[in-house]
Amino acid sequence: MTRHNVSPYATVMDDSQLTGRPIVLAGAGPYGGDLEIDEPLVTGGKKWTDVDRDICMHAEQFPTKKWWIAFSVALTGLGVLVFALITLFYSGMGILGVNHPVGWGSFIINFVFWIGIGHAGTLISAVLFLFRQQWRTGINRAAEAMTLFAVACAGIFPVIHLGRPWFAYWLVPYPNARGPLWVNFNSPLAWDIFAISTYGLVSLVFWYIGLLPDLATMRDRATHPWRKAIYNAMSFGWNGSSRAWRHYESAYMVLAALATPLVFSVHTIVSFDFATSVMPGWHTTIFPPYFVIGAIFSGFAMVITLMTFMRGYFGMKNYITLNHMESMAKILMLTGMLVGFAYSTEFFMAWYSGSEWEGFVFKNRAFGPYGWAYAIMFTCNAIIPQVFWFKSMRRNTLVLFIVSILVNVGMWFERYVIVVTSLHRDFLPSSWGMYALTAWDYAFLIGSFGLFFTLFLLFVRFLPVVAISEVKGVMDPKVARSIPPRASAAPQEA
Amino acid sequence: MVPLSTKGVLGHFYEPADALAAAAKVRDAGWTHFDFLTPFPIHGMEDAMGQKRSWIPYVTAILAICGIAFAQGLQNYVMVYDWPMNFGGKPFASWPAFVPITFEAMVFWAALGSAFVAIIAGKKDTVPQPPTMLVTTGATVDKFVLWISATDPKWNAAEAETFVRSLGADGVRVVDVSEGRAHEGGAHA
Repeated sequence: MTRHNVSPYATVMDDSQLTGRPIVLAGAGPYGGDLEIDEPLVTGGKKWTDVDRDICMHAEQFPTKKWWIAFSVALTGLGVLVFALITLFYSGMGILGVNHPVGWGSFIINFVFWIGIGHAGTLISAVLFLFRQQWRTGINRAAEAMTLFAVACAGIFPVIHLGRPWFAYWLVPYPNARGPLWVNFNSPLAWDIFAISTYGLVSLVFWYIGLLPDLATMRDRATHPWRKAIYNAMSFGWNGSSRAWRHYESAYMVLAALATPLVFSVHTIVSFDFATSVMPGWHTTIFPPYFVIGAIFSGFAMVITLMTFMRGYFGMKNYITLNHMESMAKILMLTGMLVGFAYSTEFFMAWYSGSEWEGFVFKNRAFGPYGWAYAIMFTCNAIIPQVFWFKSMRRNTLVLFIVSILVNVGMWFERYVIVVTSLHRDFLPSSWGMYALTAWDYAFLIGSFGLFFTLFLLFVRFLPVVAISEVKGVMDPKVARSIPPRASAAPQEA
Repeated sequence: MVPLSTKGVLGHFYEPADALAAAAKVRDAGWTHFDFLTPFPIHGMEDAMGQKRSWIPYVTAILAICGIAFAQGLQNYVMVYDWPMNFGGKPFASWPAFVPITFEAMVFWAALGSAFVAIIAGKKDTVPQPPTMLVTTGATVDKFVLWISATDPKWNAAEAETFVRSLGADGVRVVDVSEGRAHEGGAHA
């Protein structure tokens, strides 16, 4: 076997040298054949010390002007949310567009939308971990943070949808002085409480466990004693001990194995909110897989949007390479096709079931008064991602960014179509109605984006945005070591 | 917790492969109170250090069963015994409706408990470590640091330092931390 003293990774400097295809080392394989190896996950000939500097830099220096501009825009959005909440509590639900028969409106749409966004983070951190997809290391930290913040946004909506949010704690089953009056455990709404809170907390713990070694890195870089002490406490005194890594890795694997079915269960249970009702258009067995795949689809779109910013504004192009973006584009196209398949299956089943009501709802969905929303949904989710059949499109960041935005629009409209079109034509034509968003509905939608981006920008300001220890683990030691190997050093096996 | 007073030898390597080879030699030489401080986990380090697989998955299994028992107990107590309600003549103990919460409670207990126990285990199931705030090892950056604690039955400062040097380690030094201060020095500290 030919021994390569100089790593083929040392010369890959940026995206322009990546092709998305294996590197062929002529004559390096067994029996003198060619050896194909994957392209490096980190470009720029980075050393391990460079990784620390590049990633911790954003948390260690005063924020840039670009960060302040982005933060003030996000904070304005958050202000809109606070203002809308105060108005809602003061005036009541009448300021919203919900009516009879459309009793579930933008709050439920936004709830399902944000929970869906969160799913990609867990998918990247847990499912891709179990499948040993090493490219996840560049994006998992930010994607998991995205999950947490999306769940935070989602959590607001069911609570304010209650109408009397100050009684929200009645949803928690605990021995109380009201009877005791328990929640109804046969109700999907009670399942939701358990699913969302478990999902939020397990995601938080998974994310924090991943952060421990990186917080220790930040501690060892810190110069101010207080800063050092805070990071030391936050990392629980992590020092990189292999005896601790042994348990850490085991726990990380266990968490990934538990988070994988958890992520599928959460949107399944959200879909039960719809599927266990007797509404035509909701009462279908396809809803759980349909919701889960839609959630992963929309979440990956949001990850692509955020990663485009991180590559551009935070200079992470060496860690989140074009190859990473291409992998995400492939997942986006696959899940987009699955979503399109689910749309078609729904139509087929509406006809095949022979149910008059089901058939009407679906004809009405596509060609009725909300046909425009259905058209937006179908075009954005099932048709536009088809551009990713072409490699040149998958590796074009502008195309990726535009498609990711359109997919998010399409997925918001998917929930709009599901919620509104099933309700607006009740069983009796005398009960038919229409639904339109009011200015306050828009304020809550914009405000939830404000909250999301405020939290995300604070995250990039204070914590390492890329999983430092995981990225170090996938780098080539021959390139990344701090001092070049000495010829006269320790005797090494050839 | 890590004791306030620790003593031992430090020496570092630059590549995971060298660290693995060194760990196997330390193990074979009969040292038991040693550790490798590394920036990222190294595949095969458990074997090289003569350790067994982590016992965390057993904790997870026990906690998962506790979570299942808790959720089943709560739901059956409420829906069958304490507050039975008739929904269209369906049975009070309608077990399929209890599955989602049982699953969520299982994941909740198992995941949070395993993470908590793993953090504690990283502190308890170990050997005395060089204190993070007093001794800079470089192990969170780019060095693979061998640490032999003075609590090892074989301990002899001069012998340990010579041994670590013979493995090809760089930056070999004896560290003695007492009363909140680190004293670093040569072989005969």
